[in-house]
Amino acid sequence: MTDREHYTSGPASGAQVRKDGDKWTLILVRELRHSPEKVWQALTDPAHLREWAPFDADRSLGTVGTTAKLTTVGAPSPHVSEATVRRADAPRMLEYNWGRFDMRWELEPVGGGTRLTLWTNIGRPFISMGAAGWHICFDVLDHLLSGTPIGRIVGPDAIKFGGWQRLNAEYAKQFGIDSPE
Amino acid sequence: MKIKLTTILVDDQDKALRFYTEVLGFAKKTDFSQGPYRWLTVTSPEEPNGTELQLSLNNNPAAKAYQQATFQQGQPAAMFFTDDVKGDYERIKARGAEFTKPPTDVTFATIAMLNDTCGNLIQLTQLARY
Repeated sequence: MTDREHYTSGPASGAQVRKDGDKWTLILVRELRHSPEKVWQALTDPAHLREWAPFDADRSLGTVGTTAKLTTVGAPSPHVSEATVRRADAPRMLEYNWGRFDMRWELEPVGGGTRLTLWTNIGRPFISMGAAGWHICFDVLDHLLSGTPIGRIVGPDAIKFGGWQRLNAEYAKQFGIDSPE
Repeated sequence: MKIKLTTILVDDQDKALRFYTEVLGFAKKTDFSQGPYRWLTVTSPEEPNGTELQLSLNNNPAAKAYQQATFQQGQPAAMFFTDDVKGDYERIKARGAEFTKPPTDVTFATIAMLNDTCGNLIQLTQLARY
């Protein structure tokens, strides 16, 4: 069996939801046993993003002012969004938009590792799904950084993967949004 | 094979969902999202398992150009069939929709045309009975 077949996701944790007017923000925190420099590369380099992120980037996201095309992986029809890098303070803070969503990544050195925080706005009905999807992406990122990549699990692969349904339900319960509307 | 879905381009999916449900009276059927991608469909409450209309974001140049040219030529982007076009005209107008054509007799039908506020003209069609 490969590492991908062995992979299981842990319990839902490290996520919060913030509401500001009509705007909902999902905040996800993950501690990684790898340096901020290494994590930064995984967040910005297209070859690394391809191994874990839910989108493909046509160029590096590591330079402020860059406009990149981000292709959603696994969408039912081709979906390309423009992204403009608004802040790129390597290896601490990265901000860009993914289509109409704002993405803010903060990398804090903790011991020898990194506390990674993602802020992303998201439609209310999709908060728990988004949290479950990013949870799995972060697990896959951790494998990548550890030198044992298992290949990204996004879109249909994430939904088919049993853990996604459970995580979706657990996050929905944590956020108090059992009913989707 | 079955025809279960047709797609209309919209400039804003939240706005489109409000218009197609609150003004036109359709019901939300499926709604899921993956990042900025969102699969959003509505159906008629008269036929909840009938053909779905996908409200698809026009976020690419080909979609925008096609949608604008179609609108400028006065071509409807979709046609809905009704048994009471005059009644639907009054009902939808009362909810604030702008009609570019009131109920009008044409060959084999009575039609009306409205602006969906998302970049499209929509035709309502009631087939004539002879």
